[in-house]
Amino acid sequence: MSAEPDDGLNWQRPSPKLLRCRRIQVALVTVPVALIVGLACATASGLAGTLSAVGVLVAGVVAERFLARRVAAWGFAERNEDLMVRRGVMIRRQSVIPYGRMQYIDITAGPLERSLGLATLRMHTAAAASDARIPGLDQAVAAKLRDQLAALGETQAAGL
Amino acid sequence: MTNPLPADPPRVPVAEGVPAGWHRLHPLTPVVRAGSRLFALVAVLAVIALANQRQDSSEIVTDLVVIALALSGGFISWLVTRWQVTDGVLRIDTGLIRRDSRRFPLSQVQAIDVVQSGLARILGLAELQLRVAGGDASRGGRLAWLRLADAERLRAELLAYSTAARAIQAVPAGTGGPADAPLASAVAVDPIAAGPGTGAIPASAATPEQQLFRVRSGQLAVAIALSRPGAIAFAVVAAVTAFVAVTGKTAATATFLPTAIGIAATVWRWFNGEYGTTVTAAPDGLRLNSGLIQTTAETIRPGRIQAVRLVEPLAWRPFGWCRLEVDVAGPRVRRESRGESGRLRALIPVGTKADAMQMLGVVLTSQPMPDKPVPRRVRFKAPLEYHFLAFGSDDNYVVSSDGRVTRTTTWIPLEKVQSVRWVQGPVQRWLRLSSVRLDVAGKRVTGAIEDRADAEARDLLMRLPDLARAARARAA
Repeated sequence: MSAEPDDGLNWQRPSPKLLRCRRIQVALVTVPVALIVGLACATASGLAGTLSAVGVLVAGVVAERFLARRVAAWGFAERNEDLMVRRGVMIRRQSVIPYGRMQYIDITAGPLERSLGLATLRMHTAAAASDARIPGLDQAVAAKLRDQLAALGETQAAGL
Repeated sequence: MTNPLPADPPRVPVAEGVPAGWHRLHPLTPVVRAGSRLFALVAVLAVIALANQRQDSSEIVTDLVVIALALSGGFISWLVTRWQVTDGVLRIDTGLIRRDSRRFPLSQVQAIDVVQSGLARILGLAELQLRVAGGDASRGGRLAWLRLADAERLRAELLAYSTAARAIQAVPAGTGGPADAPLASAVAVDPIAAGPGTGAIPASAATPEQQLFRVRSGQLAVAIALSRPGAIAFAVVAAVTAFVAVTGKTAATATFLPTAIGIAATVWRWFNGEYGTTVTAAPDGLRLNSGLIQTTAETIRPGRIQAVRLVEPLAWRPFGWCRLEVDVAGPRVRRESRGESGRLRALIPVGTKADAMQMLGVVLTSQPMPDKPVPRRVRFKAPLEYHFLAFGSDDNYVVSSDGRVTRTTTWIPLEKVQSVRWVQGPVQRWLRLSSVRLDVAGKRVTGAIEDRADAEARDLLMRLPDLARAARARAA
């Protein structure tokens, strides 16, 4: 966890399954790449093939460590009039999106996310630069949160 | 079909001036639409005909058929396009095979521009462009082409219409923006104005219009020459001249030709676009007229301004010149089409600091200045920007300045803030700094309070949403 100052907010986290989702994504890239690189280098010598394949796998493990930290950095907090989302490890970001400014909210889920029962919630304001998404929510949680935010947005709507 | 049929009168109680029923665009539309392409085609065919030397009549017939084909598409498009205004909605129907019917609720319209290209100007035609917020550029409406007088009348009427439509509806929060009051006062009190706007279009009501600013053409030319494209143009010309002088090979200049044409086109577009910029205070907003060959007239409605930016390039500073730009809600400009070095619509393409301050007084209710400099340790992170980084705020605006050689000061109305972001990169974390960004619905401006001390930025992140909410509540 990053050393976040205690701001007295009730930070909620994405589902723990998000980490599993990211690990599978890394594995899906790393293992085939390791195989291909290993086989390609094995034409030179068996040792070179083994070494390069292991090298790629090590890179994959390192990437997994980075992703684990990034997954741990995600958080969101519902405040009275706005939603706060934080993310990032190297570049840390924290956004405040007033409920009244939300134009629409959508939920997306890729094939892998879907198989794990996860979804990404994305909030849009009239400003294209606004960046507010919460990945790796349980689908039920995402749907509930969407309805809740939409209702709050409607009562506090403020247009442009 | 062109006959104004008074069958179904609009129910919104203003702008009876727009006749009910469907209307066609001007019959010369296909010619203007084919425009430059048609000229290019004619030129190419003429060259081919001359090069062939055989002035065969059959070939001329072929050429005419080609031209007719080029025109027929536009003609069919004209034939199936019609528009009408009913119940505060502008409808544009078009398309022969795939019907496309668009509705533009006038209460949603951000601005209406009258645009003339060179050819249209010769033929006395103009295009009406409607701008709506959000989404992509294709969501805007175009009525091309109409007779200039018709276009201007229609614009005035549509604007009056939309103002009334919004007044009838419960006014959504944020539309009666901060520019409301100062505009009114500028019209009523400001004695600086020098007579009615020259190219301005008479408003629906007989309210006097006050000219607030008019750019001096000589100053604009010098300013462009002193800007980055101008400097590049000079560098290229100098390089080519030097090359020719040294080697004596004139033919080699042909290599530079595409570059030279590109630069010339950029400089020309800029000069043509902002030549004769005139800002007039009118009852329905700030009216902006500009252009040499291609003219645009634009009305920036009160409360639609999302950001105001004061730009002071290095080469202009000795003269005390600056540029004042506004960003209004609209489709966000895509990164690849941002060619013109991120320039926005300029209220003052180039003017003195006094001009800019006077205009700021019109578009902003209060003018906080960036008076809080960044901590000294920012020099390690941004040595070139350090001197310009500052921010300031009051109840209505957040203002921040930045830039390496060009100083840019940006005012963001708190009432327009869509979301607030806090960002901290690795170098910033090491120096205990962080930045706060304010997102607005403008085309490309984002408020950036860069490199504040960590505690201050955290405090801003917590406080700004509340300040923005308070400003919004006050405006509503």
